[in-house]
Formats: sequence, structure tokens, C-alpha cells
Amino acid sequence: MLEEFQRIGRDLFLSGLVSSHGGNMSVRMGDRVLITHRGSPLGQITAEDIVETGLYDNDSSIMLASSETPVHRTIYQQTAGLAIVHAHPKVAVALSLFEDEIIPIDNEGSYLLHKVPVISSEIASGTAMAGIVAESLQKYKITMVRGHGCFAIGQVLEEAWQWVSCLEESAMVIYYARTLGGQTKEFRKNADQYKKW
Amino acid sequence: MGCWVGKIARVNLTTGKVTVTDLPKEMAVSYLGGRGFGARILYDEVGPSVEPFSPENLLILATGPLNGSKAPSSSRFSVTTKSPLTGTIFDSNCGGKTGIKIKDAGYDVLIIEGKAAKPVWLMVDENGIKINDAANIWGQDVDITTDTLLGQVANPQSATVACIGPAGENLVRFAAIMDDKSRAVGRGGVGAVMGSKNLKAIVASGTSHESVVDQETLDFIVYEARKVLKQSPITSIGFPTYGTSSLVRVMDMMGAFPSYNFSESSFGYINDVSGETLREKIFVKQKACWGCPIGCKRVTKTKNGEGEGPEYESLWALGPECGIHDIEVIAEANYLCNRLGLDTMSAGVTIGCAMEMAQRGIVDSGVKFGDIPSLMKMIENIAYRRGFGDALAEGSRRFSEKYGVPEYAMQVKGMELPAYEPRAMGVQGLSFATSNRGGCHLRGNMLGPELLGVPKIVDHSGASGTVGLLIFHQHLSAAFDALGVCKFAGFAVSDEMLARMMTAITGIAFVPHDLHAAGERIWNLERLYNIREGFTSKDDTLPKRFTDEPLKSGAAKGRVVNLAPQMEEYYRYRGWSTTGIPGKEKLKLLGLEA
Repeated sequence: MLEEFQRIGRDLFLSGLVSSHGGNMSVRMGDRVLITHRGSPLGQITAEDIVETGLYDNDSSIMLASSETPVHRTIYQQTAGLAIVHAHPKVAVALSLFEDEIIPIDNEGSYLLHKVPVISSEIASGTAMAGIVAESLQKYKITMVRGHGCFAIGQVLEEAWQWVSCLEESAMVIYYARTLGGQTKEFRKNADQYKKW
Repeated sequence: MGCWVGKIARVNLTTGKVTVTDLPKEMAVSYLGGRGFGARILYDEVGPSVEPFSPENLLILATGPLNGSKAPSSSRFSVTTKSPLTGTIFDSNCGGKTGIKIKDAGYDVLIIEGKAAKPVWLMVDENGIKINDAANIWGQDVDITTDTLLGQVANPQSATVACIGPAGENLVRFAAIMDDKSRAVGRGGVGAVMGSKNLKAIVASGTSHESVVDQETLDFIVYEARKVLKQSPITSIGFPTYGTSSLVRVMDMMGAFPSYNFSESSFGYINDVSGETLREKIFVKQKACWGCPIGCKRVTKTKNGEGEGPEYESLWALGPECGIHDIEVIAEANYLCNRLGLDTMSAGVTIGCAMEMAQRGIVDSGVKFGDIPSLMKMIENIAYRRGFGDALAEGSRRFSEKYGVPEYAMQVKGMELPAYEPRAMGVQGLSFATSNRGGCHLRGNMLGPELLGVPKIVDHSGASGTVGLLIFHQHLSAAFDALGVCKFAGFAVSDEMLARMMTAITGIAFVPHDLHAAGERIWNLERLYNIREGFTSKDDTLPKRFTDEPLKSGAAKGRVVNLAPQMEEYYRYRGWSTTGIPGKEKLKLLGLEA
């Protein structure tokens, strides 16, 4: 399990999806959660950077665990996810400042994500945010928090990481397309339906 | 009620009385359909005092809410009963048309209780349910029975026949119900329960009346679902081209393809029985279940016959498991099992067990590894309970126990195992051990994450952490069985898409978590049923071969299943006690408190 945290953490950092000490990850182990240490550098995770805490019950490990542990707990309690990746994909974060939902226009993003909702919460780790993020993740595999970052769920960390990576790529395509200007040519049969996803 | 018709039909074969009641909406939303409905009804009505072959046992045919809809691969229905093979709650699942036709006739569930005084068959259509004399078909095989009945009904083109063969009549504990000759409600002896009720067949007919709240959204989701099915090489190339036998060589390469009653984990003649060989030598055409874009079924032809199959499990059980590597013989053994109404898997593994016992000098029942005539003869002897076939008709556990060597029966809770060597996989053994219906690959198969990389490849050494993934798949499998969707579609179609389809059809907001929650509810209710029947954590186990005998060769050489720590993690993960009993908090959360 440590190797999986290290592998995904390193790639999140190297692909620019988190800053040196940004983002966090966790996996659910029944009624326990393994989560990255508060402020741990995801690109350089060691055994000391993984903290075990309760899914339902608090314990003193909360002193060490990521400040977003309550969000992770709520997500696990309200979805079928077994792994969570929280990252700060730059272009997607920028888009979230303009949009209420990010609808990929590229093939891969359309195929895998269809639509990514954007929700607003000023406090990164609050109970209120935990609730709305979890509610959104009941319907979508990845959700953006405006101006902050994304939360993605999966059966394993690698799957959640894929959604994050895919979102950022789709956000970059949107950015490039808008920068190029003009009307894009549609290639998807049901393009107008993606808003309803 | 959207995708539910809203009616439950109950036929009492003792009295001849048919009653129809409303399907409670709460039950529909909580248990979805199929396996879920079966579990709820059997738990409520069939207690520990009821013997599997007694009139008080029920045979519950339950449709899924997506049966008959545009959702891809959604024709599957469940038959639930107390199994004569395992003594557990048992649902057997089938992709034939009977479920759709029962629904078209106007029912979500058909409950059969009691025992007819003489052999009968049922006609289920929009005019109601009629009990008919089966004197002319009792004793006949599946093909003759099906053809005879279709010749008797008004609209044979729109009718479907689910019947038993001689095996079901003779109460073979692994007798199947055959749907339109070649689709099997195969496992657990549901055909024997049908036979015990003197019920030869159910003919169903009706006209579709699908009700959809949001057709436009459903069409979009179905379009997207079909797109991912086309995109995946598993569902768009592998299964359509080679059938499920595309797994033969893949499993063998992994050292996870059992042979010779699980004494080997690969097969020396693998190229003789591969999906490629099947296609080259006996393939006639591809076939699909109703509404399925995958089309994994094979129509095949040999020198001596033509029929459907073999699928991966049948090919293995009647082939390498018995040391047979002639693809034509395997196909013909499959045709024979279909005609006689036998579960190919339990038949093959039980015969394989007898072959090993003969090889070891324990008892010579007339079969030996690699011997083709004895295999074919024994299949018939089992169906008609002739000679040693009578003892083998009891299944491998009872047969091996009779001679004091239970270790040679490759079974869990009495049901014969499928073609996955658990020592070569991480938590597949745990999956077998914890399955509520006994040794089975369809209760949370780790094939996806451990071999095919769906959704991602995970460590298959049995490392800590994958237990949760197994539980995830156990719940998802239960949800698929309840919805009426084929698990093969699950190699591409996500829980998210299925939830969105349910919302579009019913107008009730479903999210993926609701499907997983329904799956967990079904799983725990089945567990409670088995506990009430006297099953304990001691029954969550594997044959000693897998825990005590290291694999002798292959990619997983030297490995055994280290079951105890996995089981401890499994129980804890589920919120069960250390002895495998669901805790009060868990039951309250699932709405299952007493």
C-alpha cells in the first residue's frame, strides 16, 4: 500500500497536479482510513507520511492526519469509493473561477467524465464543504471545489488519479480552444446532452 | 412503478390456486429486483425447518427492473430457492428470455410453492397463469420438451420455455433449469427443486410495455454505455470473437487455470482447448442474449452434433478438469448436459473428483482422467441416477464424504468451484470462501482487478487492502444480479451509468451508492439467512488443497491461500463480529434490524 501512495503521489507532483506540499490522498480499509500526513510532500512520501485513523470515530491520529480528513471521512461514508485523491490541477482551478461545471470538449474527457460539477466553499476542511463534496461525489466520480482543487474517488488510488489527470487535460484543451478563439467543430453525436449528465 | 410492473404472482401447485398481489414499492427500491427480491421473500417465508425438496420450499423467479429496457445486456433473471446442493439460500441467474417474458406477462415475481399431485407445466401470459398436465413430456429431455411445448402454444414465436430434463426429475442435486434449450439457470440444483414440485416447465409469453419517465436521457445514457462497450477490447473483441473461452489461455499464462481436479494450475494441452482453437475447429456463429451487444455465446458444430457452447466454465469443467483436451468431445459433453438438464460445472468437477479418487485407489466409479467414453457415460448415469451415477448425483461433497475423503471435493459449502485457481490469485479464494451460495465466481470476481485491469491492475499476491476491493465487487455483483444486468457488461459499463439509467426509467433519484447499498443489504440478508440455517464462520473455508498444498508449477508456483488473516480483515471490514455475524449497527444502517 505504501508503494501505491508513493507511486501516485510522485506522479501527481511531477505532472504538476499538486504543489510541493499540496493535495492529499487516502484509502478506505473497512472502518479505518489510511490518509496522508498533514502537509506531507506527495512527491516524497515515506512510511511516516501515512496516518491511520477511524472512518466513523475520531482518535488522536487526527493530530497528524491531513486537515481534510473530515472531507475524506464523509465521502467514504456517503459513497462507494475506496480511494480518494485531492489535487490542485491549475487549469481546472482557473476554469472553476468562471464556470459552474466543466464540460470536457475533448474525446477522452467526454468519454470518461462527461461533466465535472463545480461547487463553492471558502473553508477547505469544513463540515459544510464535506457534505456538499460528498453529495456531489454520489453522482460524479470527480468534483471541483471552486478556486481550490478537485476530489476524485475510485476503487483504487490509481483510478482516482486517472480522473484527476483526465480533468486537467480536458481543462487544458478547453483553455487552448478558447485561446485559439472561434467556433469549435463538434464531433460528438450527443454534445448537447453532456450538460444533463 | 416505472421499471417494475408492480405485481407478484404466487402459484400453489398443491391447491392449484393462483394469487396476485402488489409489489411493495419500498421493497422495490431497497432490493431492486432479481436476486434482491428472491432473498427478501425466501428469508421471510422459508425457515430452517423447511427441507429443500419439501413442498414448503419456494421456487422464486424474479425479474430485474432493467429487464426488457434498452439498457445493454439486461435480460438476466434470478431463480431463488433453498438449495438441495448447499442448504444455503441460493439464487441462480440466467440470460434467457424467461425473465423478460414473465415481466411482459405482467409480473415482477413468480413464486411457486407446494407440490403438484402429478407432473404439470405452467403457462404464464397476459391472460393469467394456467396449470397444465405434463404427462406427455415428463421423462423427456430438454430439447424434446421445449419443442413439444412450443408446438402446443398459440404464439410460439413470442413464447419462451424454461424446463427441466431428466436430471431435474430425478432430483440430481445440481440439476439445472434450461431456458430455450441452451441458456441455463445452472447452479445449485434449482432444477431439482422444480422437479421435486412435479413442475416440468414454465412457458412465458407477453408483450413488452416498458415504461420510461425520461426517454431522452435514457437514450443518451444507453448510447454512452454502448459506446464504452464498443471501446473496450474485452467486450468488443475478446468475448465477441472467442467467447468467454478467450480467458482460457490468459488464465493459463497466469498459472490460474486449474486441471485434473485442481491438482495442477495450468494445462499441458492448453492450445487444444483455447478460445482460438474453439473458433477454428467448431465455431458456427456468434449468438447473444436478448439486447446484448457483446454476444459472447457460441453456436458450435462437431462431427456428431450441433448446439451452443461450450463457455469458459463448461469447457474447463468437462475438459481440463477431467483431463480431457478434445474440443469436439468437450462440446458434445456440453450438449449432453444441456439436453439432460445438468449444471456443466458441478457435473464436471464432481466427475473430476471421482476421477482423482479412482486414481488414488479410493473407489473406482468407472471414470478416469482423460477417458472420453467414461465421461460421457457418467454424465448420463448421473442424470438418470444409474450405478455410481446415483452417488455422484449427490455432488462432490457428499460423494467424497461417503468414502471418508472430503479433501478431494473441490467445493465450498457443497458447491463445486469454478475455473479460477485461488492459489494464483490474491483474494479469489476469499471470494469463494465467503460466497453466500458456496463456491462461485459470480459473487465478486477478482478477474477484473487482478487479471484484466478493470478498473486497474492490483497486487494479486493477496496483500492487505484488496479485501475491500473484493467486498466492493461482492456488493456490485449483487446489484447487477438484482438489476438484471450481465456482469460482463460491467467490464465496461459503470455503476454510475446504471444508476443514471434507473433514474431515467423510474423518475426516482438513484446514485451509484444506492446500488452498492442495495448490494450490501442483499449480501447481509443472505448471510443472516445462512446463519439462521446453522452456518457459521467454520463454513467460510476452502478445501485443504488450497491452504495446505503449495502449487507445484506455473506462474504462481509455491503459493497457497493464506485465508485466516484475510478472513479476519474481511469480517472487520464488513462490520461483522470476529465470528462473521453482522453487527447491530451494520444491520441498522442497512434497514435489516429485527
